[in-house]
Amino acid sequence: MRALETIVATRIVATPAAIDALAAKVRAPGADPPVAVLRLADDDALVLGVPDATSVTIDDPHAIVVAETGFSGVWFAADALDAIVRPFIEWSVPTARPALAQGLIAGVPAKLWLTADRVLLFCPTAPAHDLHERLS
Amino acid sequence: MARIIVDGEPIAFDDGDSVALSLMRAGQVPGHGGCLCLAGDCPNCVAEVDGVAWVRTCQTRARAGMVVRRHPAIGAPSPITNVSARATTVRHRHADVVVVGNGDSGQRAARDALDDGQHVIVLDAAGGDEVVGIFAGPTVVVRNVDAIAHVHAQLVIVATGAAELQPTCPGNALAGIVTARAAGALAQAGIDLGRAIVVGAAPAGVLGESVDGTLVRFEVSALRPGSVGAVVVRTDDGVEHVHPCDTAIVALGRSPRDVLARMAATDSAVRVVGPAADAFDLPPCPTSGTVCPCSRVEVDDLAGAWGRGFHDLELIKRATLCGTGTCQGAVCVPHLRAFVADRSGTTPAPFTARPAARQLTMGEASTNVFIDTCRRTALHDEHVRLGATMDRWGGWWRPWHYGDHVAEYWAVREAVSLGDVSTLGKMIVSGPDALALLERLYPTTISDIAPGRSRYVLLLNERGHVFDDGMVCRESDDRFVLTFTSGGAAGAEMWLRDWIETWGLDVRVLDRTMALAAINVTGPLASELMGRVGLSAPLRFLEHRHDIVAGVPCHVMRLSFTGEASYELHHGIDRSVELWRALLDAGRDLGVRPHGLQALFGLRLEKGHVIVGADTELDTTPRRIAMDWAVKMGKGDFVGRTALARTASLPDGRRLVGLTIDGPAPTEGAPIVIGTEIAGLVTSSFASPLLGQTVMLGWLRTAWSPEHPPAMVTVDGRVAALTATPFYDRKGSRARA
Repeated sequence: MRALETIVATRIVATPAAIDALAAKVRAPGADPPVAVLRLADDDALVLGVPDATSVTIDDPHAIVVAETGFSGVWFAADALDAIVRPFIEWSVPTARPALAQGLIAGVPAKLWLTADRVLLFCPTAPAHDLHERLS
Repeated sequence: MARIIVDGEPIAFDDGDSVALSLMRAGQVPGHGGCLCLAGDCPNCVAEVDGVAWVRTCQTRARAGMVVRRHPAIGAPSPITNVSARATTVRHRHADVVVVGNGDSGQRAARDALDDGQHVIVLDAAGGDEVVGIFAGPTVVVRNVDAIAHVHAQLVIVATGAAELQPTCPGNALAGIVTARAAGALAQAGIDLGRAIVVGAAPAGVLGESVDGTLVRFEVSALRPGSVGAVVVRTDDGVEHVHPCDTAIVALGRSPRDVLARMAATDSAVRVVGPAADAFDLPPCPTSGTVCPCSRVEVDDLAGAWGRGFHDLELIKRATLCGTGTCQGAVCVPHLRAFVADRSGTTPAPFTARPAARQLTMGEASTNVFIDTCRRTALHDEHVRLGATMDRWGGWWRPWHYGDHVAEYWAVREAVSLGDVSTLGKMIVSGPDALALLERLYPTTISDIAPGRSRYVLLLNERGHVFDDGMVCRESDDRFVLTFTSGGAAGAEMWLRDWIETWGLDVRVLDRTMALAAINVTGPLASELMGRVGLSAPLRFLEHRHDIVAGVPCHVMRLSFTGEASYELHHGIDRSVELWRALLDAGRDLGVRPHGLQALFGLRLEKGHVIVGADTELDTTPRRIAMDWAVKMGKGDFVGRTALARTASLPDGRRLVGLTIDGPAPTEGAPIVIGTEIAGLVTSSFASPLLGQTVMLGWLRTAWSPEHPPAMVTVDGRVAALTATPFYDRKGSRARA
């Protein structure tokens, strides 16, 4: 498997309503990679493809909006999911697309961003070496 | 004709034969005697197959060229001789319902689930799926020919049916004894049983003579040593009848095949149906013979344990190992329960079974099992490049030293040094209730920390015990940056979120521990180095601000753990190598060098700084570590305040104290002795190059006060002196410089 590389993103912790509104606003079909709001939790989102945190406006005066370089990931074709990742996942991978899935992968807390034709496998950079080694 | 190799001899088999059946077709037995069930319940057919020991040969289909070796008659077999055998992949399968067993009850359960529109997987040993265990989830772990499968379900239905009771009487370890079902299978396979005597009802299709009476014993054959030669039964009139035979068939009744059910008895997502859930009558109390063929436990062994006072089923199991073997009690539990019921007058419940219900190779057991990951900081490769000896600490790889921890120590005390403190917990807290949260969470006053200032804080639990510490940096009225110990970060986030939810506060929390790196620039020349790399203006002690350092955006905190002037630079991990190298380059003529944990722990010990988790215990209060100053009882309620108020007036002699001693540093954990009594232990020790003696922190549990010091304290047989901390720079002027 190719090495995991730093993901360019913006991290937002805000009220769920504010993140809902942001998600509706920033979707930009056709971008490559597409700007996507990955909902890590109700109050926590990772906006892929937006490195400049100051460019994000969100309707929550107390929101935490920061440039996020703490994740590393690798994109691969959707049809490689079974070979690369699924043998190392104990949980059920969602069938809907797009979807964000989170859980242990080969014993490492990791996430999958599943689109129709591609998959982004990513995790915090600190344990990324273990994830790469275990999946390679 | 295809053959398998058994103990070096080729044996022909018919298509579809199990290994056990092949052997019996050749007039042999797979093990060394004992009643055979040929249903996978008993351990009497286990052998080594293709290098893997403890294989149930009755459940293993014979394949041409298969190499079978009988286990030794006495002693355990080598667990595995083929190290690559079955060290294979894990397949993950998911279903709504998993049914274990494909008999009548299993088929019924599967049909019902299918009718409900559920996705159903049926696992059956006869179909090649040998269930090894049921784990939390529930997850059913299954072994088949070429893989281990983890089958995940919402509901597991155990429909494993019933097993036949094995005979427990003298001679039951002889060869040539089979259960009724086994006799049926042998007859169906066309295997001649010779003269067969049946105790109980004769199974269909088996040519045998049924005899009346209670089974008394099996007698050994004069012609075939180790094999049964006669069955002895006692009729109602008390007379024993000897029935010569070639094969003894026992039809003694059934018991639930409940190993898996007993394994998951408390799991609400596991249901047991059919005979596996039925309460069959127990067999008569055994009086003689082997009860547990796995662990070779005799009735005499049970009686001996009973005589020594072990009257509980679980205790007898532990005392004799009855039920702890390869079949996990499938054979012996009914007899063991009958034994206890007879003596105690109460029928005990069966004990819990433990995975694995079938033996696994190490390869199978470890496939896709991963140890906890050990994280790397963004500077990991830099440390390795600089020759660091790396060690695990708090879930991270950290540099222990770079080859000379004393030189690293002096760089901090006399010049300037860099430490990688990226592992510190780092959290942003923001929101209208952020201040209220922190005031309730910390025992220190938070409201009077001005934006741009920071404060050291303890973190207490409800019992007033210290479980972490760190800094609170105020950024604005309603936004703070918190730091925690390296090992405490994950727990601290949960602690914060739990209290936010409990108190219903409007606060956002973002854990930045793994997103931010941190470099500590420390030493008397630290301020000069920081000026060289572009810090726009000096910071006073405990100030912090966001600034650009060597072109890298940093959150700069002025604090000190080493006792010298220090700047902690928090920054994105993607820029960490760049910043680290810039600092080393800029400080080259200042004598800058990195320091590892070994030097850092000594430096902080000279200052008397406590490491929570190393110097503290689970019930450490601020008073016990002389940190009452970090608690403001008058500020209002906070977590742990009630406990501290209640315990404040109680006598408590336990104290973390400073000690000094001449000579080398005693081992951490060394006893502290007063007179001849052990009065505590050393938690940290360091031979201080600067002070010329060893400094220590340690727990003393004896009442003691500075006014009334103990007569003589020794550590490692040497006299130690109780010494006030800090040992170095008592006024703290160097840290504030």
